[in-house]
Amino acid sequence: MTTEPTAVIHDIGYRHYDGVRLGRGRATLALGVQSLRGVFGLGRTVRAKIMPLLLAAIMLMPTVVSIGVMALAKQFVIPYPNYAVIMQAVIAVFLAAQSPYLVAPDLRFRVLPLYLSRPLTVTDYVLAKLAALAVALFGLLAVPLTIEYVGELLVDLPGPPHTADYFGALGGAVLHAVLLSSVGIALASFTPRRGLGVASVIAFYMFTAAVSGIFTGVLISSGRDDLAGWALLLNPFFLVDYAQSTLFGTAPVNIEAAPPGVASCLILLAVVALAVTGVLLRYRKAAS
Amino acid sequence: MTASATPCFATEGLTKRFPRVTALDDLTVTAGTGVTGLVGANGAGKSTLIKILLGLLPPTSGRASVLGYDTATQGLEIRRAVGYMPEHDCLPPDMSATEFVVHMAQMSGLPRTAARERAADTLRHVGLDEERYRPMGGYSTGMRQRVKLAQALVHDPKLVFLDEPTNGLDPQGRDDMLALIRRVGTEFGISVLVTSHLLGELERVCDHVIVIDGGRLLRSSAIREFTRAEQTIAVEVEEGQQRLAERLTAGGETVAAQGRLLTVQVSADDPGRTYDAVRDAVCDLGLGLLRLEQRRGRIEDVFKEPVA
Repeated sequence: MTTEPTAVIHDIGYRHYDGVRLGRGRATLALGVQSLRGVFGLGRTVRAKIMPLLLAAIMLMPTVVSIGVMALAKQFVIPYPNYAVIMQAVIAVFLAAQSPYLVAPDLRFRVLPLYLSRPLTVTDYVLAKLAALAVALFGLLAVPLTIEYVGELLVDLPGPPHTADYFGALGGAVLHAVLLSSVGIALASFTPRRGLGVASVIAFYMFTAAVSGIFTGVLISSGRDDLAGWALLLNPFFLVDYAQSTLFGTAPVNIEAAPPGVASCLILLAVVALAVTGVLLRYRKAAS
Repeated sequence: MTASATPCFATEGLTKRFPRVTALDDLTVTAGTGVTGLVGANGAGKSTLIKILLGLLPPTSGRASVLGYDTATQGLEIRRAVGYMPEHDCLPPDMSATEFVVHMAQMSGLPRTAARERAADTLRHVGLDEERYRPMGGYSTGMRQRVKLAQALVHDPKLVFLDEPTNGLDPQGRDDMLALIRRVGTEFGISVLVTSHLLGELERVCDHVIVIDGGRLLRSSAIREFTRAEQTIAVEVEEGQQRLAERLTAGGETVAAQGRLLTVQVSADDPGRTYDAVRDAVCDLGLGLLRLEQRRGRIEDVFKEPVA
């Protein structure tokens, strides 16, 4: 009764697989790589490529201008450590646009149970997604910085090249990548709707940036420079700027406010830990 | 460890209580190789049992093992060796079936090239042709179910859990899916645990059927024991049902009328005789034959039988 059409169409016979079976680590790596490609729209539709590639291109613009000015006017314009703070809006939009892509569809279309029915744990899944976004954000910052640095070396400005600043800024890019990816994934993973995820990440950035800006302005104008630095920490980009300055000795962007020093590193660490714990708890719950 | 010595899965006093419901209640059951059906109404605890067997949900009490692995401690080994087709939709609409199945193969630990080959093979086996390169958002329910089955088979598991694979399919799609499941169990040599709330469809593909209700075991036995009850054939004619019944009775057959149907008991020693007698009688009386079908004892009957 079961030998009718199907047997005729697919009569190639079933072959068993006896090749290698890689471990959990390699599966996690494959998930991370696929997610990273997806963040930049690779292997996805043309529409999915527009936003990330456009933002990546915008990130390069100041670099191009900077190299041009260096070549023509022999002047150094954009200090490496300030690049992220200057471009923070673009980075925030990138984060808001791409972090929901990484987690929301798996929740919305219920692909997560399929991952978890394989030798992959909730922690592996979360780590792969965090790593993918962190690598993407690092690349978003490191590529323009590196191009600018290569440009500086080629133009050969008078005086020594800003090598220490460049490496400090790369260290800062790592901090940015870790902080922003954990916050982005944490916010995005709470809703299966991609649009809501985008809105919540961008709202988070705008809210923290606005509150931090208002408080800092008020505190500086009332002469409380000692507290202004703390108010700045509310903005994730200034938080990383201060941590970068503490860890790598770069000059902070805001010179009026008193820098909070080691506290910025501790706060950064606490925020990352909180966000990652939140994501893990959220997924443990989703898994059961 | 041979396949025949180790049961596909076994549970012992398995109980799962959620805050408001008891999903499984002291379930002790064993299934061997081949195709095993798990039957129960919605909410009988089928999906909960599968989740426990996958090692994803800890039982409240009791033990379970799959392919000889303990679900409580060896979940990863189990998930490496089994495939799972969930009941719900699980396909991202902007991915093509090929991309998706390749990705899922990699998630099971296959290297990329092997994943590609296996995905192409598996998709062909489940009957997805050119459309496998199109985004899955535009697939029909039948195609989606095939992709879901393909992702469960792509890493060549020893055992697959198929949760309601015929859900939402039309009669033709249902038949195709059941035929495919039968092939997986026999030709592919992969043991199958297939759940359904429709009893009739499982008796066509399963070697063994487990019936649960309210988380408790109602019955577990080989399919022939369910259906070994007397074989009968059902005959429906346009007119002259009475005449046909008389003619067959006169010929020594056991005939009963059920509404518009006549059920004729098939002779145990010489089944061919009964079929011939029905054919000849209909032919000689010049009746319009509307229906002639085999009837067996149905799995449905377990629910009618009083439970000990």
